[in-house]
Amino acid sequence: MMNLIREIWQSIVRRDPLSTDKGKTELVFLNVWLHIHPAKVKKENMKFRHTFYLGFITFFLFLILLTTGIALMCYYRPYPPQAYQDMKDLQFVVFMGPFLRNMHRWAAHGMVICVFLHMCRVFYTGSYKKPRQFNWVIGVFLVLITLSLSFTGYLLPWDQLAYWAITVGTNIGSYAPLIGGQLRELLLGGHSVGEGALIRFYVLHVAVLPAVMILFTIVHFWRVRKDGGLSKPIWKLKDKKEALVTIGAPAQVAPLQAAAASKDKTYGLMEVVSGKPIFETITPEEEEDTVFSYPYAFVREAVVLMATVTTIMTMSLFLNAPLEELANPAKTPNPAKAPWYFLGLQELVSHSAFLGGVVAPALMVLALLAIPYLDRNPSRRLADRKLILWLFTIFVVANLVLIVVGTFFRGPGWALVPPWVHVVGGAE
Amino acid sequence: MKFSSEGKRDMNRRDFFKFSWGAVGVGALITGVGVSLAAVVRFLMPSVFYEPPQSFKIGSPADFPFGPPTFLVEEKIFVFRDREKGFAVASAVCTHLGCTVAHFSSDQKFHCPCHGSVFGADGGVQHGPAPRALDWFEVTQARDGKLLVNKDKVVPPNYRLMV
Repeated sequence: MMNLIREIWQSIVRRDPLSTDKGKTELVFLNVWLHIHPAKVKKENMKFRHTFYLGFITFFLFLILLTTGIALMCYYRPYPPQAYQDMKDLQFVVFMGPFLRNMHRWAAHGMVICVFLHMCRVFYTGSYKKPRQFNWVIGVFLVLITLSLSFTGYLLPWDQLAYWAITVGTNIGSYAPLIGGQLRELLLGGHSVGEGALIRFYVLHVAVLPAVMILFTIVHFWRVRKDGGLSKPIWKLKDKKEALVTIGAPAQVAPLQAAAASKDKTYGLMEVVSGKPIFETITPEEEEDTVFSYPYAFVREAVVLMATVTTIMTMSLFLNAPLEELANPAKTPNPAKAPWYFLGLQELVSHSAFLGGVVAPALMVLALLAIPYLDRNPSRRLADRKLILWLFTIFVVANLVLIVVGTFFRGPGWALVPPWVHVVGGAE
Repeated sequence: MKFSSEGKRDMNRRDFFKFSWGAVGVGALITGVGVSLAAVVRFLMPSVFYEPPQSFKIGSPADFPFGPPTFLVEEKIFVFRDREKGFAVASAVCTHLGCTVAHFSSDQKFHCPCHGSVFGADGGVQHGPAPRALDWFEVTQARDGKLLVNKDKVVPPNYRLMV
């Protein structure tokens, strides 16, 4: 009996015991889910104070969103006013309904925060530099997809906040030159936010955008792996020469000729691809800093996963996701505010719809996309990058200030009201 | 493919046909993808809108009082009735980002709750980010005596219907 169990287990894992180095390697090599990892990782690059594990956290939050989202879909009909009734059911009738909705809400907010912080980390450590330029571009798209998922998800409860946030949001889109009007009609499936808009936003939210997100994430991870895993921490970049080197960068040497192999010297495919003999791909001191991914990296990832899930679950026990009254096209709440991460945009829009709602965001996205191509400075050391660090910091602070002003300093009629002043009878 | 002495490529019959087939293939692919994309965009543009009609009756003239305008919730319009001048209908949709404006009888102005735009009594922008004045819609009297509003016909602010 024990033999049979052992045989079945062997037929599943097909590797040596994990106590052996061969087993640890095979665990990664022979497993389709784990082989996005290298068999061995550089210890220093896995340090918490290098990445704060923000990429992992963002990905795990996305997993929470996928699972809770699928669960919520079982009780949701994307049609007004049933959509709102289903939200009430989730709030009061469905077993664990509020908990699941809270988890979905807080994971979504967490993902917006973490994806932004992750972008900042990658910027400040200079990890977007050659050869990782294009992965930064993919990352910017992942930020935009995250925001699009938040935006489309916002309409689904069909409450007042949802209705007016989407009315304002899609009207911003209609200021886009030439195609603006059609773009809005295409998105709404009509001329105003109604049942056509709800089903379209639902399709985008539960099918199109998650699929795009998953595809982009796969490419993002794959390229990190192909570029030699996580970048080297900036405190390891001691001298100038080292600062220039990004691990895994294709060497600036003449490529090996596949045909040049003689009787006593042959090159494997891997060596032809990397352009250098296998024993030159890693220096002895780097080798010394290297450990097997099992258990070193996997334990860390598991801890981050559990910490992320626990945090979201704890928040969901105590903090309830808000739900306003049923969407009422006749009555605009005063002030009508978008979700907090769009309040910076709304603040800009309150000054000029075209400049603030179309030109400024478009320029911001273009600037982000262009960073790795405009920044020709090959050094990753902070001391060598003063100007661009200042520019990016100003960009981040400006965005935060706009969000804070939009969130706390805008009262009824979008008038400038400090948060410590209580407006009587204004907000209704 | 052969190279002549100047390094230019010479094309023989076989290469020409290879190239032609390739060009036909790429052309077919581009056409196919282009037509499909256009079809998808057209598919997403609804052919029928299940929305309230743009032209509708709002009731008899006697239903509307003189003085402050009547706000019609579903239609998002203000109906003004003046003893001397007659009927006028203004849009309640802010020209900035589509929020519903409120009419304050205290100052005879329209106020938008979203971004603080203020429109004067004639609908003109007086304050805030709104790019243009509120629309005024054509109002006529149908044969049964009811008032007929047509949102597709924008009229100047001084347009009035005498009944």
